[in-house]
Amino acid sequence: MSADPITSPSLMQMRAQVPDHVVHREFAEETVVLNLKTGYYHGLNLVGGRMLETLGSSPTVAAAAQSLAAEFEQPLALIEADLSEFCQALVERELLALVPAA
Amino acid sequence: MAAAGLYRTPAVAALGVRGRMALAVEILLDYAPSWRLLRSGDLPAMVRASRSVRRVAPQPAGAEAHELAVRLGAVVGRLLAILPTDSRCLIRSLVLTRMLSRRSLPSVLVIGVQPGPSFAAHAWVEHEGRPVLPKGPFARLLEL
Repeated sequence: MSADPITSPSLMQMRAQVPDHVVHREFAEETVVLNLKTGYYHGLNLVGGRMLETLGSSPTVAAAAQSLAAEFEQPLALIEADLSEFCQALVERELLALVPAA
Repeated sequence: MAAAGLYRTPAVAALGVRGRMALAVEILLDYAPSWRLLRSGDLPAMVRASRSVRRVAPQPAGAEAHELAVRLGAVVGRLLAILPTDSRCLIRSLVLTRMLSRRSLPSVLVIGVQPGPSFAAHAWVEHEGRPVLPKGPFARLLEL
């Protein structure tokens, strides 16, 4: 039986953390992310890199979405949908952990 | 024992035939556990395990220490390149890390990347902040 998928509303109230086993570095054109547990490298484009950085410094995913919506001058709903998908993709790859916000 | 003499010798170049043979055997003996470690995929665990070898010699002093590290790096690179073994940068680095630790030489295993469409990653070992295996044009991502 598979676990319940993370739904967007509950995800938005959580805090995103980059786990200790993940190392990332921003370069001119991309952010390289290395999962030390698996040895796999992942590449994020400029927007993905910015999303990861903002998620790491925001108290909740919702707060990150608001910040990114203002930065990219895009509708909040669109950013929330993109960020939700982005978070789930990273969680599946063990590159991001979602924990209850303090 | 030939191996004990080897560890007391500051530079590989000063080794006789028996010493060089002992060094080759040591590299091959270090290759097997390093290859097994690679299968785990866990980079920090690989490096920790490589450093957990028994130390058999006190740390050589100053320039002598770095010279030894450079020479060991060169020998590891050459030997693993000509043998029908996996000679990728990470296993070379793990083998060298074991050998340096055995001689009480501190080292750092560096993971570097070349971002972009032709993405590439590389591993090398540094001693006293200087590479003792080829570093290449890679940007540092992680030090272990």
